[in-house]
Amino acid sequence: MKRRIVVLNIIILLLFSLPVYAGPPLDAVQSNVNKVLEVLRDPKLKAASAKEIEKEKLRLIYDRMFDDVELSKRTLAKNWNSLNVAQRQEFVLLFRQVLEKAYIDKILAYTDEKIVFDRETMVSGTQAEVQTRIVTSSKEIPISYRVLLKDGAWKVYDVVIENVSLVLNYRTQFNDILAKNKPEQLLEILRKKVKGQ
Amino acid sequence: MVRVMKAFSFPVLLFVFFAVGCAHSPDPAASLAPPAAPPHAEQVLVVSDPVQIPPTPPEMQVKSETKNVDDYGDIEVPEKVSEEAKGEIADPLEPFNRAMYHFNDKLYFWVLKPVAQGYGKVVPEAARVGVSNFFANLAFPIRFVNCLLQANFGGAAEELGRFTINTIWGIGGVLDPASSKDIDLSKQDEDFGQTLGAYGIGQGFYINWPIFGPSSPRDTVGLVGDTLLRPFTYLSPWYAGTGTWTYERVNDTSLNIGDYESLKGAAIDPYVAIRDAYVQYRLKKVNRKGGNIPAEDSGLPKK
Repeated sequence: MKRRIVVLNIIILLLFSLPVYAGPPLDAVQSNVNKVLEVLRDPKLKAASAKEIEKEKLRLIYDRMFDDVELSKRTLAKNWNSLNVAQRQEFVLLFRQVLEKAYIDKILAYTDEKIVFDRETMVSGTQAEVQTRIVTSSKEIPISYRVLLKDGAWKVYDVVIENVSLVLNYRTQFNDILAKNKPEQLLEILRKKVKGQ
Repeated sequence: MVRVMKAFSFPVLLFVFFAVGCAHSPDPAASLAPPAAPPHAEQVLVVSDPVQIPPTPPEMQVKSETKNVDDYGDIEVPEKVSEEAKGEIADPLEPFNRAMYHFNDKLYFWVLKPVAQGYGKVVPEAARVGVSNFFANLAFPIRFVNCLLQANFGGAAEELGRFTINTIWGIGGVLDPASSKDIDLSKQDEDFGQTLGAYGIGQGFYINWPIFGPSSPRDTVGLVGDTLLRPFTYLSPWYAGTGTWTYERVNDTSLNIGDYESLKGAAIDPYVAIRDAYVQYRLKKVNRKGGNIPAEDSGLPKK
């Protein structure tokens, strides 16, 4: 019995000392951002032909860094319930593509801007906000990551750029669309947005 | 981290102290507590408010555990409703505003952007940053007066220090030595619209002005107040002031080309996206003393 407890303790100790995913919020965000920077700085991926490989690598990091479903849920908020499960699944996929399309060029355009990790603020035991800044030659852009602890990992569910929350900004737009349209029409607008441009 | 803990636990402890004190001790000591309470109560607010995430209700904890079973299930707790109400603005003038949005959009792509790009090709970036600093330094009376109007005397002093240092050692404000690590006086981004907001005046509704862009009745009044405090408003003849204003816009645009494009590109409905961004941005600035975004986003005391 005693031995069992000792073994159990050791297992628990080992489990909790894995720092990569269970670390505090700031470390989680910082390690993911650093991975992104590694990809962006990789000279082998600089060529135009390697762009797809680069994007694929970034997508993998995104999966580890963000909580897609939570982000979509919070964006739709009360409207989430008016979509059926199939529509919800499609929405999550489409919204992810919309975001990728919107921000990938900005991210790939990264040159040598400095990223400063200022602090984390715990909102509750499972919620926190990590504040960072991008420092360029002419200005500073504050970016906060709102993170949630789920299954031992801190995952991002909202990004606040220059004081504007991404989730809230899209929520207002989707609210506006869903006030006049059915969920299916919203999905159609998103499908077009993903295909277009 | 220690500072974070301290800043958090202090008001929380005080809050607990007052809560318990009020409930259990009807003796005269309790009546002494209220006069001391308001500033502390305010501190509690300052700590929790700017983060803008509603405190998690206990149901949500339970929910997030069940959520893993079925990620795509219904949301049982409409926890973000209050947050939503804050972020919305009435838009009775929507047809007019949308028309003005298209006007401003064309103005940007057809006039402002090409002019700013051409200007940016001729003038090196360092010089344009200098020009931007110079204008920011000239707008010192706006920030100074509005700090005073909001009884933010520390901010006003910081602004006065910045103005003195940057005007004398920053070659009339072209450089910004006051922001350097050694001096570390940060710009207090206050304006008259925020002062009115701090006095409790709400935005009202959304107005999208031609040329001036997103605004509200409150911020329009604010803009007029700020214009009166801007030195080059009093340049003579009148078009010298307008010309300076236009030049400042072109210079700023040259440093921010691509921002509007990406905002517009990311949006599903750019008009609504810009309206919402404006509302969120102004709301946070009003709620924040000194208007400083990066330093005080956490709501923690700065020093």
